[in-house]
Amino acid sequence: MDLSFNETWLHKINPTLKLFTMILMFIFVLFVHQINWLINLTFGALLLLWVFSGHPKKRVSLLLIPFLIIFISTSSSMILFGKGDTTWMKWGLVHITEESFYRGLHLGFRALIFATLGLTFALTTRPVNLFYSLMQQVKLNPKYAYSFMAGLRLIPIMIEEFLTIRNAMKVRGVEQERGVRAFYFKIKSYSIPLLSQSIRRAHRIAVAMEAKRFTGERDRTYYYKLGFSLNDGIFVAYLGVLILLGYYLSVVWPLFPVGDVRY
Amino acid sequence: MNRGLKLTDILVTIVIAIGFGIVYKLWGPLYYFVKPLGLHIDQLIYGMWFMAATVAYLIIRKPGVAFLAEVAAASGEFLVGSEWGLEVLLFGVVQGLFAELVFMAFRYKRFDVTVVSLAAIGSAVGSIIMDYYKGYIEDLALWNLSLFLGFRIIGSILIAGVAAYYLVKALEKTGVTNLVRPASKQDYDALDQ
Amino acid sequence: MLFKDLSIHIEKGEKVLLLGPSGCGKSTLLQVLSGIIPKSVEVPMKADHFQQPASWGYVFQDPDSQFCMPYVDEELAFVLENLQVPRIDMPDRITALLKAVGLHQIDPHTNIHTLSGGMKQRLAIASVLALEPEVLFLDEPTALLDPQGTEDIWETVKAISADKTLLIVEHKLDHVLDLVDRIILFNELGEIISDGDKNKILKNDRNTMKEQGIWYPGVWQDYLSSRPLKNLTPSHTDVVLHLNHFQGYRKKKPFISVGEATVRAGEWIAVIGENGAGKSTLFHALMQFIKTSGTFEIHGTPVKKGKRIADHLTFVFQNPEFQFVTNSVFEEIAYGLRLEKLEEPDIRKKVFELLDRFRLTPFQQHHPYHLSMGQKRRLSVAASIVKGQPIILLDEPTFGQDSKNTFALLEMLEDYQQEGATILMVTHDTNIVEHFATRVWTIKNGLLSSDVHVRVKEHAHA
Ligand SMILES: Nc1ncnc2c1ncn2[C@@H]1O[C@H](COP(=O)(O)OP(=O)(O)OP(=O)(O)O)[C@@H](O)[C@H]1O
Ligand SMILES: Nc1ncnc2c1ncn2[C@@H]1O[C@H](COP(=O)(O)OP(=O)(O)OP(=O)(O)O)[C@@H](O)[C@H]1O
Ligand SMILES: [Mg+2]
Ligand SMILES: [Mg+2]
Repeated sequence: MDLSFNETWLHKINPTLKLFTMILMFIFVLFVHQINWLINLTFGALLLLWVFSGHPKKRVSLLLIPFLIIFISTSSSMILFGKGDTTWMKWGLVHITEESFYRGLHLGFRALIFATLGLTFALTTRPVNLFYSLMQQVKLNPKYAYSFMAGLRLIPIMIEEFLTIRNAMKVRGVEQERGVRAFYFKIKSYSIPLLSQSIRRAHRIAVAMEAKRFTGERDRTYYYKLGFSLNDGIFVAYLGVLILLGYYLSVVWPLFPVGDVRY
Repeated sequence: MNRGLKLTDILVTIVIAIGFGIVYKLWGPLYYFVKPLGLHIDQLIYGMWFMAATVAYLIIRKPGVAFLAEVAAASGEFLVGSEWGLEVLLFGVVQGLFAELVFMAFRYKRFDVTVVSLAAIGSAVGSIIMDYYKGYIEDLALWNLSLFLGFRIIGSILIAGVAAYYLVKALEKTGVTNLVRPASKQDYDALDQ
Repeated sequence: MLFKDLSIHIEKGEKVLLLGPSGCGKSTLLQVLSGIIPKSVEVPMKADHFQQPASWGYVFQDPDSQFCMPYVDEELAFVLENLQVPRIDMPDRITALLKAVGLHQIDPHTNIHTLSGGMKQRLAIASVLALEPEVLFLDEPTALLDPQGTEDIWETVKAISADKTLLIVEHKLDHVLDLVDRIILFNELGEIISDGDKNKILKNDRNTMKEQGIWYPGVWQDYLSSRPLKNLTPSHTDVVLHLNHFQGYRKKKPFISVGEATVRAGEWIAVIGENGAGKSTLFHALMQFIKTSGTFEIHGTPVKKGKRIADHLTFVFQNPEFQFVTNSVFEEIAYGLRLEKLEEPDIRKKVFELLDRFRLTPFQQHHPYHLSMGQKRRLSVAASIVKGQPIILLDEPTFGQDSKNTFALLEMLEDYQQEGATILMVTHDTNIVEHFATRVWTIKNGLLSSDVHVRVKEHAHA
């Protein structure tokens, strides 16, 4: 996708470092059971996205809308059907307790922080840079790296093919059929040509790459050289400070009067 | 013959997987759209997210393909901006690993609907383990938890098992799978006549 | 099995053209000679003696399936990386390569997706040049290009190939012939039937080429003089299509505009124009695949949104595979009729008639994907017109086809035209425009810029 944006320091971070730091953050968050701490972390992550992604605020807001839906849908089953002792409401199968309510909320914030970190990464990292960096910093086999880059290049082509097939189906009258059988048939008439065309194309590209003397050996030169810079330090420091400060604030000014949300 | 995956295998796997990655991404809104219906109806369609592994394995039939496909599909979904963010990457790794283990248990010799369904169950189990850590699912009321697990496993068998199997069967009829499968010994023998 | 007891020997510096009917194995042979088979593509093969060129480059037919990187500079850099060129030398090499193929006017960091087909093929040549090959293999590099693009590509090849060996597969001979000095002729079984100096072959083997359905200079004259006289002037006069201030939109912007046009039954309209001019877009607009505005009437009734346009117009896509929905040739043709809930005997009667007409009867149980390109194309036409729609739109139906298939398809369309069907066809082939069309629409920059009735010259040749 060719969306215009301003390049910020987040774009200049080494992609491998960014990815691994974020994954560590992800794993860390799985072990945070204090809802107040988690909320602080989430706001720290949102701040990063909102201020430094370099994308127009309108686009970022648009991308944030589904997050709210996820927030609600993730927390709702736990709130409605979770275990707990202090009953707030009981109505048929629905049983809302204080414990399940906060646990549900906690889950919602968890989904929100994962999504925010992920979106920040996706908005500030060019896949080509990521794979070049993975080849250089963690010695990813070039066969996999270039296959990924070739695959990503095909996304717009696949979408075009999908639209073409939809038009072709209109011409053939597939669209006018109704019912379960027709649904099955429709799925088949889309997926078979799409898949077979993708396989053929992937096969041809692989042949073309080898015809250009691509061997998959690790010793090759690189057009893009990706190293480390001060930005990497700032990024790691930001997350480190966020974790500590978040904890401190959650103790000093807790938003909710609860601690561990587990049953 | 030679071990490991060739460039063709890798590229075909990844391209199929990225195709599925787009489907995975589109599946997200559908999933949280049916989710508020409550009672875990959404779990019945969860199996879609395991499909890349089984489909790619059935097409290419080599060790490592199921894992690679699931990871690649998740990466594709992640890089086009999934609503779940980083989560999908780790889920992809675990789901792919479990499917791969099932195929490995059969020593990569069987490609029938039973094995594929087992792999689908494998992926489902992997995702449930992840959810256990992420979603406190053990803190759901028991009846609710059983519904959740039951629906997810049934859905996986139907989508990533049975549907994937018949999809690849239909694809085989078109002959394109021959591109990625090694030529048989018969074909070589035919040259000597 | 393809190729049994084949021997081929090519000297350094020779420029060779491989000619043969579609499906005879030319592409396969090129891949064998370069070593792609069996190194990258596993195909069982055996040879007593096989010597591969030391350094070679290969340009493939489909521009979109030979690149692996998103940007022009990155794609070229990919090749340089393979050759372990130091990073500091890369930008200069990239600029030099782009210059060699005449792409210096574009910014090296351009998204490949935004290039035209011709530019993509030139980029493919540039990336092959980076390999500094002695031998160049070219497999129909101009199949999808307009006449200008085709000429440019062959000019480019000529400019860079002075000291190189060339092996070319190409159906369209217009500009290649100046370039080559030797021709190898294959028959449909993949056997060499003739091999030698260009001029000798063109003189002596004309009849063989004609039998095998190979394109050669003068094939059109031979074809026209051998075919029965037909009256191509439309005899019907009722208006089937009427367009007035008609526009088709992509992304809310008009991409095609037609001021005023009236089409009568039995006309054959050739739609021509450069790559990217908007020919396909015009057809998409007529089929209502995209949003349109203005007047658009079929048989005097305005076309409304949601109406089943496919009952009146039918469209044959450039890639026939996208249109196939069933598992056999028979079912493929029957599909449209089954949707109409016709009685089984009627369906069978109609399908057999079409199978016969399109010479597909022997293949009725085959999977559509297993047919040769020419057969696929005929099947997609047969399946599209089964409901007897009076207007047929075809988007470049003859590219990459040998002369036999091309003429067969054109004759079938002509039969329909005689029965009163209207044909609109996008083509880059000036011969088709000249000898089959009754009218020519030229599209330029998204505008129907000229609409001329051509006098039917047919009779003069006969
Ligand atoms: N991957 C494949 N598997 C099986 N058969 C194949 C495959 N590729 C090509 N063929 C068959 O091999 C034969 C030769 O194909 P090839 O593509 O070399 O023909 P060609 O002379 O280049 O034709 P065209 O002019 O249409 O490009 C055809 O009959 C084709 O159906
Ligand atoms: N799906 C699309 N979205 C946006 N722009 C498009 C789309 N398809 C085509 N275009 C643009 O519309 C213009 C006309 O394209 P079109 O495909 O109609 O050209 P054409 O005359 O059929 O060319 P060719 O001879 O290469 O087939 C081009 O500039 C092209 O880039
Ligand atoms: Mg060919
Ligand atoms: Mg076109």
